[in-house]
Amino acid sequence: MKKILSIIAFLFLLSSNCIAADLLVFSGAGLIKPMEELKINFEKSHSIVIDIHYGSSGEIFAGVAAGQPCDVLIPGAEKYTDDALKNGWVLENTVTKMVLHIPVIAVPKGNPAKIKGLMDLTRPNVRVAIGDPKAPAIGRVAKQILIRGGIWEKVKSNISVYAPTVNQLLIYAALSQVDAAIIWGDLVTWAEGKGKLEIIPIEKEYNIIKTIPTAICTGALHKNTAIQFNEYITSPEGMKIWEKWGFEPCAE
Amino acid sequence: MRRVDFFQTSFIAITLFITILLIMAIASLFVVPSWDDVRHNIWSEEMRFSLKLSLITGITSTILVMLFALPIGYALSRFRFWGKGLVKTVIDMPIAFPELVLGLCLLLLFGSTILRDILASAGINFVFTKKGIVAAQFFTALPYAIRIMKSTFDYINPRLEFVSRSLGYSMFETFKNISLPLAKNGIVASMVISFARCIGTFGTVLILAGGSYMKTEILPITLYLNISYGNMGMALTSGIVLMIVSFLAIFVFEKAEVSL
Repeated sequence: MKKILSIIAFLFLLSSNCIAADLLVFSGAGLIKPMEELKINFEKSHSIVIDIHYGSSGEIFAGVAAGQPCDVLIPGAEKYTDDALKNGWVLENTVTKMVLHIPVIAVPKGNPAKIKGLMDLTRPNVRVAIGDPKAPAIGRVAKQILIRGGIWEKVKSNISVYAPTVNQLLIYAALSQVDAAIIWGDLVTWAEGKGKLEIIPIEKEYNIIKTIPTAICTGALHKNTAIQFNEYITSPEGMKIWEKWGFEPCAE
Repeated sequence: MRRVDFFQTSFIAITLFITILLIMAIASLFVVPSWDDVRHNIWSEEMRFSLKLSLITGITSTILVMLFALPIGYALSRFRFWGKGLVKTVIDMPIAFPELVLGLCLLLLFGSTILRDILASAGINFVFTKKGIVAAQFFTALPYAIRIMKSTFDYINPRLEFVSRSLGYSMFETFKNISLPLAKNGIVASMVISFARCIGTFGTVLILAGGSYMKTEILPITLYLNISYGNMGMALTSGIVLMIVSFLAIFVFEKAEVSL
């Protein structure tokens, strides 16, 4: 029995060790590929453990709002850090613009519906997928783009699915379940989409390009590490990793 | 003697520990949200839509599941046929699959051009539709129902059926008058599990039916959507509704089992 108890005690010890990360990051789910690579590099060079929680921007924003422990907040659009700043959840001078998130139209290989631009989405019988306008940042942006193009009402009847997660959009387009999906351009560099998708750029006059920001939370428990981490991911070295995964650095 | 005592108390202690933990987990779902919030959310349009759709699809799927589980369970229990071992393994496989994998498989199947066109000519489309919810729930719950029906028929003494046959009744008449009434409890249990499984199906529905807001939104999807909207009040409310529906289903079925 003593043996069993000591094993249980050991397991508890082990699990508590796993939880005790040196840095807690909340990141938009769409940034998982570059973030994982940045995380591993930073962990190696600073010999620390980083815990990254991925979720839709709305979800991680609500997490910070609910007071979940978080050091660095990296949502998929600036709106979230702006709102967090207004509420005093992130530190003002730490909000940094990092890379651009450019919406594109993804179509299955061969472009079965012959989509050439945004206006083609209004054609009858074109099956369109967009993100749920309330959940992932790309959903809201897609709706705004369509409204800006003055075609939201027309395209609405063509929309066969409002996906709650970005990855669903990728799967549905890659498997030809829809003729077109409005998605972040960087997502298509993911191996999953490679060779199964084609990219149709959205015309400049309609497109809404977002910036991905990073910010340090007011309640950060590991503030110094958080500052170092933010310096690293916005450094030229970090930018190389962002570019590798299809993100464009901000001009400034 | 003392050794046995220690053995007994420690096992009971482990049982009680987990039971208390579960009760606390369930109770926290009811304690954490504010009741004004819950009352407001429960009458919201989204919740009414989601609850109604959950009940309609859940009941439809359960009926369909039983229509298939009865003959399949009986066949697996009573008949010998070529490839039976393989059939059993294949039918059980979805139990081990994560729901998301099953959803992806169904999406590939029903979304493939050939089958999609055949089904479309019959006016059926499973991808991103309410029919897709039923299909997703059907395939998720079916293996459980079949398992229960098979073991139910396994426990019925075949001698009673032989007697009926020797008195001149056909196989179908024997099934209807002997096997089915004897399998009553198993059928009820199978329906309860199927309904609970259907109502709770998430991953399969998310992939095949899309999980669109107010379109293919059933209770688990409402819960998930509202977590991603950051609307915890609504998410907790759908969790509560989901739990009440499952509890009522089990309660009603158990009452029915007693009165039958």
